Amino acid sequence: MVDNRVSVKRYFRLLGIYARMDLASLARDGKFMALVIAADLISNISAVSGIFLLAWKFGGIGGMDRFEVLFMLAYGNLVMGFLNMMGGCNALFPSRIIGRGQWEHMFVMPLPYGVQLTVGIFPFTGSSTFLSGAALLIVALCNLEASLPWWWPGLLVLLLAVSMVIVVALSYLLSSLAFYAPVQCEEISSTVIYSVERTMTFPLSGMPAYVRYPLLTLFPAGLTAWFPTMILLGKTATFETFYPTAFALFASLSAACFFKKGFRYYVKKGINRYVPGGHRS
Amino acid sequence: MSRADIAPEHTAVMVDSVSKIFTQWQKKEGGGNIFRQHKKTIAALEDITFQIEKGEFVAYAGPNGAGKSTTMKLLAGMLRPTQGRISVLGMSPEKDRIPLMKRLGVLFGNRTELWWDHPVIQSFEWKKVVWDIPDGVYRRNLERMRELLEIDGILNTFARELSLGQRMRADLAMMLLHSPELILLDEPTLGLDVVAKRQMIEFLKKINREDGVTILVTSHDMDDLEEMARRILMISKGRLAYDGDFDGLRLLTGNMTHFTVTTDGGQPELAGCRLLGGQHGAFEYEADLSRTSIRLLLEMLSHVDGIRDVEIRRAPIEQIIAQLYQAWKS
Repeated sequence: MVDNRVSVKRYFRLLGIYARMDLASLARDGKFMALVIAADLISNISAVSGIFLLAWKFGGIGGMDRFEVLFMLAYGNLVMGFLNMMGGCNALFPSRIIGRGQWEHMFVMPLPYGVQLTVGIFPFTGSSTFLSGAALLIVALCNLEASLPWWWPGLLVLLLAVSMVIVVALSYLLSSLAFYAPVQCEEISSTVIYSVERTMTFPLSGMPAYVRYPLLTLFPAGLTAWFPTMILLGKTATFETFYPTAFALFASLSAACFFKKGFRYYVKKGINRYVPGGHRS
Repeated sequence: MSRADIAPEHTAVMVDSVSKIFTQWQKKEGGGNIFRQHKKTIAALEDITFQIEKGEFVAYAGPNGAGKSTTMKLLAGMLRPTQGRISVLGMSPEKDRIPLMKRLGVLFGNRTELWWDHPVIQSFEWKKVVWDIPDGVYRRNLERMRELLEIDGILNTFARELSLGQRMRADLAMMLLHSPELILLDEPTLGLDVVAKRQMIEFLKKINREDGVTILVTSHDMDDLEEMARRILMISKGRLAYDGDFDGLRLLTGNMTHFTVTTDGGQPELAGCRLLGGQHGAFEYEADLSRTSIRLLLEMLSHVDGIRDVEIRRAPIEQIIAQLYQAWKS
């Protein structure tokens, strides 16, 4: 039996080559680099400023004060920012890889698919959302009135990871459809990701149940920023603390199951839709 | 135990009774109703069996839609056969994808493995890490590719700025960096100009001859294939129609020979020979040597009045293939 596992050392070498290539493409030209960084930061800050300005004007939204709202916005940026950095080569948008026939590049690489999908990082060109999230988090934490226990940073990291798993699971779950209908579903993952991104930072505290519950179950955008924020601010019951983790487990298992099933269909039927360039463009 | 497990040591490729069935959505005839579509089953490959020994240079040919690319994808593990077994370098492309890819090189003419927005050398360095190529092997192969494929001038050029010929050379070099034992080339000369094509053909012949690399190549250019390969596999409508050398292929349509007769006067009448054209006293004929022997042909020519020159050559392989394709169609 051949051992196809990738050692930790090799995994970091793989991360390193992608990081180096990303830096090379950004640092090609000093002016270009400065422009890209500035434009990205402005765009990220302005994307969250609408909700924050409303919270500022009205002294908070739906039972959350203005800095709690800012904390939630920062949390959302950290989730999406980290995924943007890790999800280079369309790893966060698998339906594009499938719909454009780009899996054919992955077949010929002597690495497990899971490794291929996780090492293609863009830590420099994809970092602006994460950095702006980190900056907003510091501002929010400095202004929050609540006193935070010693284990709070650990809970923050855990919930950030759980929220990321939910986003990725949603993307892979719906991208499974692209194996069966590559033309129609090529962009389904971007629809999912952008929908989550637009909905995740909306404070659901004051919303009626028929809006809140679907956003915590059917389309769980509420679990990617608002609900974890409520947990971190101590505004939920103890048993509710475990709900996002349980949901993440359920969603990721479902996604893995459906994606594997779709993949088996793909290698049986093939997809004659190769697009030159593709994820390497 | 699968057939893949028992492939002999000297066998590079073993395809055993392989079929591949696809389904296509088709619109039903005679209706403008968009809901009236049905699935049609298409056999891309039907019960194909062949074997390629290590060190062979084999051409894989057939008309459009015959199943060439499907075969290549099956061998590269991109598709799984509907039935039958495939062994590549003694491994199953389905079960042993990772170890197989370390020993296999794949190049499709219509796509590139190069990173589009990076210099060529950056793609090479990426490949070194992903394929885990040892430093010594990488340096030696890179040096060799620089020399043989003359890629020095393009190593620091971005892939998107390369001409098609340059890109193919860079892709070839990249494919060979990990010293593959078997390479699968699907239409590698597609769109190349005469010079680039010559360069590629000479290079492939060299690595096959000197390094013993097994090569399976598809192309629509039969003259190129004949120059490169010693054996040709031809498929038609998903079935293996011919497996042998190029001379044997010529015999399939008769032993066709072309010859040009130059005379002082008019057009000579040669029994059993077909006139293809002529001007300024030079007339081109086609003869089937399996019916009109060379002795008889020479005897007829010796009786031609005012004969000044005779040039005999084999019929172009392109023409033989065209005749075969036509025959298979009907």
